[in-house]
Amino acid sequence: MLAQILIGGIATGCIYAIVGLGFTLVYRSMRMVNFAQGQVFMAGTFLGLVIANRFELPAVPLIIIVGAVAFLIGLIVEKLVFRRLYHNHEVFVVGSIGLGIVLTNAIRIMFPEPVPFPKVFGTGIVTVGGAFFQAAYLWVVGLTVILVVGLHALFSYTKAGRALRAVASDIEMAGAVGVDVRKAIAQTFGLSFAVAAIAGVLIGPLYFVSFDMGDMIGLKAFSAAVFGGINSIPGTILGGVIIGLLENLAGGYISSAYKDLVAFIILLLTLVVRPNGLLGRATPVKV
Amino acid sequence: MKTAMTFIGIGALFLIPAVAPAYLVHIATFIAIYTLPVIGLGFLTGFTNRISLAQGAIFGVGAYVTALLTTQYGWSPVAAFLPSIIGAVLVATVLGAPAMRLAGLYFVMATIAIHQIVWIVLMNWIDLTNGPQGVRSIPPLAIGSLKLETPHTYYYAAFGAALVSFFLARRIVSSRLGLQLRALSEDELASAMSGVPVYRAKVVALALSAAWAGAGGFLYAHYMRFVHPEMFTLEPSILFLTMAMFGGYRSLIGMVIATAVLESATEFLRPFGEFRMIVYGLILMLGMMFFPKGVLTLGPVWHRWFGRSRSANA
Repeated sequence: MLAQILIGGIATGCIYAIVGLGFTLVYRSMRMVNFAQGQVFMAGTFLGLVIANRFELPAVPLIIIVGAVAFLIGLIVEKLVFRRLYHNHEVFVVGSIGLGIVLTNAIRIMFPEPVPFPKVFGTGIVTVGGAFFQAAYLWVVGLTVILVVGLHALFSYTKAGRALRAVASDIEMAGAVGVDVRKAIAQTFGLSFAVAAIAGVLIGPLYFVSFDMGDMIGLKAFSAAVFGGINSIPGTILGGVIIGLLENLAGGYISSAYKDLVAFIILLLTLVVRPNGLLGRATPVKV
Repeated sequence: MKTAMTFIGIGALFLIPAVAPAYLVHIATFIAIYTLPVIGLGFLTGFTNRISLAQGAIFGVGAYVTALLTTQYGWSPVAAFLPSIIGAVLVATVLGAPAMRLAGLYFVMATIAIHQIVWIVLMNWIDLTNGPQGVRSIPPLAIGSLKLETPHTYYYAAFGAALVSFFLARRIVSSRLGLQLRALSEDELASAMSGVPVYRAKVVALALSAAWAGAGGFLYAHYMRFVHPEMFTLEPSILFLTMAMFGGYRSLIGMVIATAVLESATEFLRPFGEFRMIVYGLILMLGMMFFPKGVLTLGPVWHRWFGRSRSANA
């Protein structure tokens, strides 16, 4: 029982972590929260669904292609929409919520009913110490680790990644030393779209996919990002896994009805007690 | 002159049920009901610069308190009015007061948490709230033997409440508390130095915004005669926030106009069928993209264009 709960919790936590990364990437560069991130994740799942149905690819190429297409879409959406919303955070909040409503309802028209996602990770069952779970869970955890290592490599060893980090730490100085700030911001949105879509492909085969799947997961992933530290990538991963674990423990031992509360109580407590989150830096304005 | 105009305006609004078709009366009733939570948001956002996405949930608390008191405990609707307000204020201050120390985006995040907590409790505390079944057959609002069952009669209750709340809000804004709030909205540190009890004033603003939302929820429950958790998702919170934002937060009359325009707009979008929500989302998105300072800033734009064309002619 416990092993089952822990493994399920880590797998869910990985999903929160990856979706949460989308919030973190944008927040680090822009100090803005993209409230459409949950819907971007949902739309990314459907992008994966369409590509997977058309081309019948194995898991790894599918993820790479979906990530690449989502990255391009992110660049375009940044240019068309987000770029005009940078005035202040209220404008960005309401504008991005509007984008989220558009995405949800556009997908709702195309896919009104929940649809099964192709089982790209196979249908095997794995046994570990008396716990049974789908092999897809292992894929989720393994690919999360690979994705995080990949992001770390990108930010540490490539020129483009260093440019993104420079913009994240000080946008004006980055511009002054010759970073193309506009391009870096566009790429940040591209990356946030790509990780959201990859998270969609990871979670798709575990459940049915539907147009409203992004709402709750998006808000929980957001809680995970704030809890771990919304400007810290390792913090977001840690926050996601902890919330996934606590939620599954609460669902298993306390009450399955209230397991959704865990993430939001943690979010509220984090903001009141330690707004920087577990591993975050910088202080918000406190009076 | 101004007073005369006000009276004529109020008189005209009172005549709506007599002349307008039922559908318009229905929309006008919703506008009157929504005015309350939107004005409430004005207290919070206009005077403390804190944007809340929890107003829809607090509105829901008000609606649920009266729904449960009247259906489960046999209270008369009028008696449940004050408990609705008190319930909303209690929930908002218990959950929200600690968060009033946060500013900017961090406060928005906290209100999302508050919203979700309230919503999940409404959905899952089945013994109390009846959960996803909702609460049915809420009795109509009745004053003595007069039952306000039709949209026409209910309009007067909703409009009266909106009117009272509007003038009450105006009194509060021009009171000592209103002055303190206006001072702290400019600069919290400076107003603290000048003797404004900043934290207390902010919590009072939060409580006021919740009281207005609770009263709005009360009116909503007795108009719909049915409440359900799905009515109080983030969607109404977003709607109220947009209404207050387009109206300019500080201008009570601006917020009322924005409420009327947006509520009628979403009603008039009905012919778009399933594309309605897409259009609504586009309005929010494009509105923010092209009029980041609120739609009422269209005024100056209009003026500038108008002015330019005149000077071009001259």
